[in-house]
Parts: sequence; structure tokens; C-alpha cells
Amino acid sequence: MRVVDQLKERAGNAAQVVVRRHRPDYQIILYMGLLMLLGLIIMYAIGPQRANVLNNAYGTDYYTSMYFFVKQTVSLLLALAAFVALAVTPYEWIKKNAGKILVVGLAACALLFITGNVLHSGVAQCSLGACRWFELGPLGSLQPAELLKFGMLAFTAGFLGMRVQQGLVNDLHRTLVPLGVLVLVAIFFVIVIQKDMGTGISLIAIIASMMMVGGMSKKVGLGLLGAAFLLGILMIIIAPHRIERVVTFFGGDTTSGSDITDSNYHITHAKIAIGSGGILGVGIGNSVQATGYLPEAINDSVFAIMGETFGFVGLTVILALFTALLLRLLKITDHLTNMWMKLAVAGVFGWLAAHVILNVAAMIGVFPLTGITLPLLSFGGTSMIFIAGALGLAFQLSRYTIHGSVNKEKEYENLGSRRGVGRPRYAGSRGSSRM
Amino acid sequence: MQLDLRKGSRARILAILTLVIMAVFIVRLFYLQVIRHDYYVGQANSEQLKQLVIPAKRGEIYAMDDGSPVPLVLNQAVYTVFADPKIVDEPGKMADLIRRVAGGNARSNIDDLLAKKDSRYQILATKVTRRQAELMKKESLKGLGFQEESQRVYPEGKLAAQILGFVNTEGKGQYGLEDAMNAQLTGKDGLLQSVTDVSNVPLTIGNKNINIPPENGENVVMTVDRNVQAYTEKALAKGLKDSGATNGSALVMDPQTGKVLAMANLPTYNPGEYNKVQNAAAFNNETISAPYEPGSDIKTITMTTGVDKGVVAPGSTYNNTDYITVDDATITNATKGQTGNITLQHALNYSLNTGFVTVAERLGDGSHINWQARTTMYDYFHNKLRLGQLTGIELANEQPGTIISPNDAQGNAVRYSNMAFGQGLDVTMLQVGAAFSAVINGGTYHTPSIVAGSMDDEGEVFTPAGAKPSYAGVVKASTSDTMRTMIHDARSAFYAGKDKPGYYIGGKTGTSQTIENGHYVDNQTVGTYLGFGGNANTNQGPKYVIMVQVSGKNMNLQGGRDAMPIFTDVSNWLLSYMKLQPKG
Repeated sequence: MRVVDQLKERAGNAAQVVVRRHRPDYQIILYMGLLMLLGLIIMYAIGPQRANVLNNAYGTDYYTSMYFFVKQTVSLLLALAAFVALAVTPYEWIKKNAGKILVVGLAACALLFITGNVLHSGVAQCSLGACRWFELGPLGSLQPAELLKFGMLAFTAGFLGMRVQQGLVNDLHRTLVPLGVLVLVAIFFVIVIQKDMGTGISLIAIIASMMMVGGMSKKVGLGLLGAAFLLGILMIIIAPHRIERVVTFFGGDTTSGSDITDSNYHITHAKIAIGSGGILGVGIGNSVQATGYLPEAINDSVFAIMGETFGFVGLTVILALFTALLLRLLKITDHLTNMWMKLAVAGVFGWLAAHVILNVAAMIGVFPLTGITLPLLSFGGTSMIFIAGALGLAFQLSRYTIHGSVNKEKEYENLGSRRGVGRPRYAGSRGSSRM
Repeated sequence: MQLDLRKGSRARILAILTLVIMAVFIVRLFYLQVIRHDYYVGQANSEQLKQLVIPAKRGEIYAMDDGSPVPLVLNQAVYTVFADPKIVDEPGKMADLIRRVAGGNARSNIDDLLAKKDSRYQILATKVTRRQAELMKKESLKGLGFQEESQRVYPEGKLAAQILGFVNTEGKGQYGLEDAMNAQLTGKDGLLQSVTDVSNVPLTIGNKNINIPPENGENVVMTVDRNVQAYTEKALAKGLKDSGATNGSALVMDPQTGKVLAMANLPTYNPGEYNKVQNAAAFNNETISAPYEPGSDIKTITMTTGVDKGVVAPGSTYNNTDYITVDDATITNATKGQTGNITLQHALNYSLNTGFVTVAERLGDGSHINWQARTTMYDYFHNKLRLGQLTGIELANEQPGTIISPNDAQGNAVRYSNMAFGQGLDVTMLQVGAAFSAVINGGTYHTPSIVAGSMDDEGEVFTPAGAKPSYAGVVKASTSDTMRTMIHDARSAFYAGKDKPGYYIGGKTGTSQTIENGHYVDNQTVGTYLGFGGNANTNQGPKYVIMVQVSGKNMNLQGGRDAMPIFTDVSNWLLSYMKLQPKG
């Protein structure tokens, strides 16, 4: 039986059952908390050096040695607040207001474009013609693209979920074209205007994960993959710094001579930091690459600094934590019966996976640099707050999973007696939660 | 972790994909962090570790000035003036300035050099003094730079050039003391190694920070007295002018200690401009590096051997026929006519070869220079008085010379008959001077030395060097008494009026044939004079030993006529310089 058909049947089935709210998946909190803690330790260790570099560069003593640690702590608290908020905000409210959230996200991006690129207002934080942040004074800065990502996640879960239930997930006119248009609009803001390839790719990854879980056919999948590839090439062609990054990637290590460019300098120094860490690392507070050699040492390159500090063992632990978190998300999505929930968690998986994989792959030199943060570890408020919020949503939704032995279902599904299998965990209120 | 993902579900596919990607990452990390670890550590060090060599100061060289050290070789900061033609905006003004201030140190084609707009580094002037550099800096012209270097300076110019040697452009000593004591003079460069941040600010991270302070080179104080050296050089130059000789060397040493007071060589050079020397022979210190056949001076050593062995005395007589036959060789006298039954003192005065072949014979059975005679002579010449051996003086390129042992097939009676009057052996002036000192000082051989000690970094505290070995009793004190008198009488026989009255001066002439292509030639002789001076005929009486040698290509130079006046000049000057009181 084809996956799509399975899903169709199950969707129809879900219409008739309501899963009882149960104990959430606390492992999400465990892995997220451990990663956040590691991020805080590394900020504590390299913050003083980073402050020193910035003070030297700007000739000020604005940054104290605890500046980054304190800011990261504040970000973590905000992120935890976001996690809690989305864990307790009834998902139905989010589901209902998904459209509005998406519109706010798009509007924020449009506002950023107007204030930054058109009005050149100080509210928009720009560098090299790319405006990515709102400067909110004492509140810090906000990256509207993150809000857009969340809006896309919530809205697409609803839209795609509806189409899945209608059995039209692979329908060109009713599903693929509208969704494609939406994605292109979002991408236009993120990649073309904000010149933020990393966020754009993660946005695509969110949608792609949802499509994947939602039962996209192989034909459509390959078609979209081809389209994404062409789009990627187009994006690379229209932005010279991306060509440089790709050339760098295929050019290999360069540490000297006239071949040094910003991006191969970045990747080479990331590899130096990671490689010089060895098996156990140089130890907390002994990172030298963080003293100005490695660009973005506390943001995008924090993985490399962790490699220098904690070594192969430390990075393996970090990757293991991320893997565990990702697999938990996949388990949750697999065990959800409500299509909106299922797709939303799939989107969270795509979001987290895209960030982790693209960031790490660039740092270890197996994929071109995209300028994407490492979730929960990188310094930087918005990214962390939204990832934590997304995980909070997944945490909430983990309350609605059916029992793990559902995979026995297959043995019975052709017998037409599936309903009985999960019976003890199924609520009987038929028809009460129609999607 | 129990995932219970449904078989064939999309989440399962994503999970497998995730695990595969993570596995690839772990493998890649293992490659970077474990397999390539050393490479990346090297890369990290190459940009994080900054090393700065702190050059050690080369030691200065001092000479004595009447007992206290004065500098002969100093270091001076000099500047190389360079420009970056690409950013020079007033080339005409710059060229004028450099020509005006640097003068002869400026390159001749400054205008052309400054016109090379695509080059970034052109040297415009070298060895500019600090004052000149300051003058140029004051104009603050764009694109002009200065590089400081340390350079040897010689306040006394050419003085003691062959003793000192020079320092080449790589900072290594060449010839003389600079070469022989290069290690001590160079010192050890210091090293500053620090892990730095990207703006080269040193960090306190890790254990790679090193700070080794430089060890400055030792300031060497020579036994050479700058006044004696200066006068000896002057006297030698005057003597060469008077005789027409082209080459000359003079050695002055203290017979009571073995310390060298002066070593003069002509032609000479200026160590500050060593690169302008055409003939490298000028660098050689002939008193140690040019073994030669000493000629008649050695008759004093032969006589010493005879007297010390008790086989002859100054009054011993022999029958002089102006020639003597040893095996198949016939030896003749250079000065003829003093025939008959004459004393050995008479033979020494007239430098008659037959007299000293006779001494050699008497060391054997009286008529043959047999094994016993030859081993005795070898014992005195080579073992006791150390002719034909390196003295170990602290100067480069010392040569040992040759004294052929009686064990050698060459060391036969004919060889030893020749050696008795100074042929058939190669020795240096320093060896002869040291041996002669032992002969006249009561019989103690002092190893020659030229290093008196060292000065501290500030040039204030003098630390004397440890004494070099001395060997007492190489000849009897009575022999020494006899020889002093004999040598004094030999000088007095012809040159009595030359010396200041009230002093006790002795000396012996030497006129040695030279060997060209293995044969003695008649048209080229080397004139030498070997003598001592003091104010008493006692072991402690002689205060100086002087040896002079003059030579020239195809010139017949004679000890008495050409070398002796130089001795007399230096000797008389030394008597007053040393403030020796005349005695009866």
C-alpha cells in the first residue's frame, strides 16, 4: 500500500478519534537544556576574549568580560519563556491564528525592507545592503525572518494538513502552486532582499519536511528537488558572495598567499579551530582562534570554537545531543495522528535539522558557508528564542501522540481492524476534532 | 532510545537520513581532529605564535693601555636608508636630501631607483650614521624608511688589523680574534615567543609563551698594549721604507709571562673597510700563520741545547775551516775568513754555521750527529721549547710548522746539521719568540697568550683570564744566565752603540734563504732579528722579547742590515715606555 493511501486512511480514521492528552516528552527539555548549558559555558569561556577583540577593534571599553555571558543568559531566559509560552498556549489558538502570524511575519519583512532599504532608517540594522534586523533599542534586536519562518510553519501545517485529508497533497493546482507561490514570496524577502541564504534554506527545509511527512509523491519530490536546485543556482548567480563561497568550497584549504578571501579565510579558520582541538580540546578558556582569528566566533562559528575547546569528544557529544533531539521530533511526528500536529512537528524538525546540518557542514568544510546559526548554542537572541518556541510547540504536541506500538498497525491494517489496536489510548469522542 | 518509528514511514526515512548525515559528520570530525590534528596545530601555531629574535650584542674588543683596558673594536648603530618608490611623492627632493646628507654613502643612481614606481623597496644609502639618519627623518618625506643595523667600528683605524680580524656581513668573525673567539663574542640571541590574538596582542593562554633573554657576547680584553702595537707598526713601516722591503712582521712579547704585547704585519688593511681589500694576504697574521725557515736566530736554541747538556760553553773552541762535512753534505759559512781555532761565542757573533754544526756533533759522539744528538736536539727544539707545535694562541689560522723527528727517514744527520743553524725546519715567529723567552727568563716556557680577560657588559669591571700553562725548568737557570750573556755579547760585538746606555740588551741576526719550488734560491733572503731587552742580566731582567722579519719578492734582505734597526727602534722606545731605570 502506498504511503499516501495509508495516510489518507489514517487521516480519515483520525477524524473519528481523539487522542487523550497525556504526559509530554520530557526528553525534549533534557536535550535542549543540555545544549543550552553548553552554549552558556562556551559564552562564559570565550566572552572575555570576544569583548577584548571588539574593544580593541573599536577602541572602546564598552564590552565587559561578562557582556556576552550575561546577554546569552538573558537570551536563554527569553528562550525558555518562549518555550513555556508555546508549550502552554493551546495549539488550537496557534492553528486558528496561523494565517495572521504569517501575515504579521510577511508584514514585518516588508516593513524592514521599507525602513531599511528604502527609508534607510536607523530602526533597521543593515550591513552591506542587507537589512536583517530591527533595532529595538534596549530590547535588543529582532529578526523578522524568524517570525516569518514560524508563521510559514503554522500556516503550512494547516494548509497542507487540509490538502492531505482531501487527498490532494500532490495536486499541482490546488496544493503545489499555491504553496509554491507562498514559499517564493517568503524566499523573495529572505534571500533576495535580506540576502540571507541560511534562513531561506531553513525555510525551504521546514516546508520540505512537512511535504515529506505529509506524503508528497516521489515524482513531486524529485520535481521540487530539481526546482530547488535550479533556484539555488539562480540565487548563487545573482549574489557574487555566494559564488565566492562555492568556489572556496571546491578550492580547498588556503591559509596564505593571494588566494585568501573572506569566505575561505572563514572556513579555513573554522577547520584550524576544530582540527587544533584534537581529541579532548584545549580546554575551557584556552581558545586562541576566538581571539579574533575566526570570524563570527560566538555566532555562526561557535561549533568550531567548541571543537577547539572540547575536542572530538565534545563535538561528538554535541552532535549526539542534536541527533537525539531530532530523532525525538521524528518520533513525535510519527506518532501523531492529527495532521496539523504531525506536520507542525515535522516543520520543527526541518527547522532544527537545517540549522544544525548546514552550520556544522560549513564549519567542517563539507558544504559551502551559508551564514546560519547553530541552534541553542550560537550567541544571538532571535534565533534562539524562535527555535525554543518551536520546540515548545513540539513539546506541547508530544502530549497527543498515540502509543509507540502503533507500528504493529501494519500487520492489521489490511484486516480492517486497526481501530482496535490503540484502543486504550484513544478517546471515543467521534467526530469532535475534525480538521 | 526507543523510537518505535513505523516501518516505511516518512519519519523513518528522515531519521535514517539524519543518522547518515550525523555519521558523516562524526567521520569528518575524526579526520579533522584526530588524523589531521598535528597539521591543524601547525597551522594554528603558524598564525598564533609570533617569534621575535632579540639579537645579542657582539662583544667588544679591548686592548691594554699601560695596564688598563681601552676599547679597540666597538659596535655602532648604522642605518640603511630605503624608499618605497610607489608612494614617494617628491622623488627630486628626496634624492637631493640623501645626496646632501649621506654623501659617499648614497647610491649613485638614486633618481633611477626612485623612478621604479612599480617596486616597493629600493635601498638608497647604506651605513648612514645615526646623526645623518636623524637629519633625513626630520624632513619627514613620504615613503622613506630606515633600518637599524649594528656595525663594528674601529676607533683606532688600522691598528692591530690582523690581530683583530673583521666581521663579515653575516655577522661572523673572520681572521684573528674575531674568528677564533667568534662563539664567545657572538653570544646567544634571545627569543621572544608569544601566542597572540589577531592584532598581535600577546595572550597569556597556553604554555607556548617563551621569553629567553639574549646573552650578550663577551667583551674580550687583549694582552696587546695599544701603544706598543702602535709604535711597533710605525717602526715596522719605517724599517720597510728604509730597507725597501715589501713585507714585514714584528712580534713583541713579555718573556716573563708569554703575553703578546704587539703583532704588526705589513701590508695591512682597515678592518672597517675589509671589503675593499684586493689581496687577501693582508688579512694574514704572518707571526702565527706563516711558518718559515728561521735561519740563524735558531743558533741560540742550538747553543742552549749544547750548554744545557753541558757539552759546550761560550768559550769552547773548535777549528773553523769555513766548511764542514756531514755525511755527503758540505756546509759552508756565509761569513768567511774567521778561520782557525775560535770560540763558539766568536762563531755566534759572526753567525758561523760550522760552529753550530759542531755543537750538534758534540751532542753526539763529538764528530757525528748521531741518534743521541738528534734525539737530544729534537727533545729541546720540539718537546721542551715547543717549536713546530701550535701554541694555541686565541687567534685564527695558526699554523704548526714542522720539525722532523729523528724517527723519520728525513730526520737524518744532514737534516739535523741544517737545523742547527736554522734550516730544514718550519716554525712561526710566535713559536720562536716563546722558545727564546724560555731561554732567557731562567728556563720557564710560558704558553703564549693574547687574551688577558674580559670586561663586563658596562665595560667597567675587568676580570682577568685564567693563566695558561707554564713549564718551569725546560732549561737550567744557569744555562739561561749563560745564554743571556752570550746573546748580549753577540749584539754588543757589532751594535753596542745602538742601545741606550745602562740597559741589558741582547739579540741575534738571521738571514735565511728561501725555498722556491723545493730549492734554495740565492736571490731572495728573509732578514730577521730576535732579541730581548731589560735593565739587568738576571732571570727577571728581560722585560721584552722582540722578533722582526722583513722580506720581499726577489729581494736579498739581511737580518743585521734590514731587520735589526727595527728592533733597535722598538727596543729603545720600549725602555722609556716601560719606564725601566738604567743600571750600571
